[in-house]
Amino acid sequence: MIAQSRKNNTGGRSCLLRWSSVLLFTLVGGCSSEDIRPMQNLNSALDRSSDARRDPTLAQEWLATLSSRGGRERIELINLRNGTPVPAPGLNRADAQPVSISLSGDGERLALVQQREGRTELMLYRRSIGALQRLDINPPGVPRQVSLDGDGRTLAVQISRSGRWDVDIIRLP
Amino acid sequence: MRRLPPIVRVAENSLIAAAVSLLMLGCSPNARRAPGAAVDRQQQDPAISGNGNLLAVIVEQRGRPTVELRDLRSGQRLPLRHLNRQQPHSSPSLSWNGRYLAVITQRGNRRMALVEDRVTGRAHPLRPPGNRDPVRVSLAPDGQRMAIQVADRGRWRVEMLDLSSMLEPDRPGGLRVTTPQEGT
Repeated sequence: MIAQSRKNNTGGRSCLLRWSSVLLFTLVGGCSSEDIRPMQNLNSALDRSSDARRDPTLAQEWLATLSSRGGRERIELINLRNGTPVPAPGLNRADAQPVSISLSGDGERLALVQQREGRTELMLYRRSIGALQRLDINPPGVPRQVSLDGDGRTLAVQISRSGRWDVDIIRLP
Repeated sequence: MRRLPPIVRVAENSLIAAAVSLLMLGCSPNARRAPGAAVDRQQQDPAISGNGNLLAVIVEQRGRPTVELRDLRSGQRLPLRHLNRQQPHSSPSLSWNGRYLAVITQRGNRRMALVEDRVTGRAHPLRPPGNRDPVRVSLAPDGQRMAIQVADRGRWRVEMLDLSSMLEPDRPGGLRVTTPQEGT
């Protein structure tokens, strides 16, 4: 027990130190982060399958990240049940560099901003049919960050126009 | 379920993809400026809730990048209890009904993730394992997991955190806890 003090010459000082520690721990604990659990198996699997990862986006059963391997960055879709990447045919083009990604909550759609041939494009990928389509931006602007809702029918996109950042809401069919 | 030779299946998928592409090109998406923002105000880093009703964006408040939550149907700004300080804010993320708003904040010289529970009014500060500064976060639609991007030995890593012991699920259908049978 913390309250037990030692019956020797240093007992009083030791007890005081212990109570100070408890008080400090309580104070720090009160304003520090809560107990969170890293998902060790999943994190190990993520580390094994790429050299580096950034820009995570979570769906209920899926994680997508921009993953580097062998010096090339590509969009990787990971099944959260086992931590393994799954094929996404047609998503990564050899001539395109992904900038920002967002998964719909069901993992079926993925919105992305990519740079290709000197242009920045807003794209939508549908996993079940492996189709990647370009979305028009009107009035024209340069897209930067994207966010899709649960069923992938509403897209929020950060766009630069006339030297300013703005956010458009796009309803998708 | 009929079994088709692989070549037929590939052709079938290609046809569907082509048809969908034509449909998408045929009708350009219906777009509008995010409601509720003054014309001269910049908005960045949007995050939309799973149900598509709420939008979190980063705006400048007295020169400080600050997260703002809006109802997309009315354009009305919604109050946040804990996110009027600890700027600059970045990388907001919302759960399904927008019960949870996760965002990266700053305390002293350290960056840390914070989840505000809009139902209980509680704030849950989160620091990635290894005491690293988070760069981007993404909250799972039900709020039970979080992906955090951190720098580790000179490279970007993504860490998955289990928040199920800390946050109730925020699932489709309203602000309630569903039983496992109801699921998503």
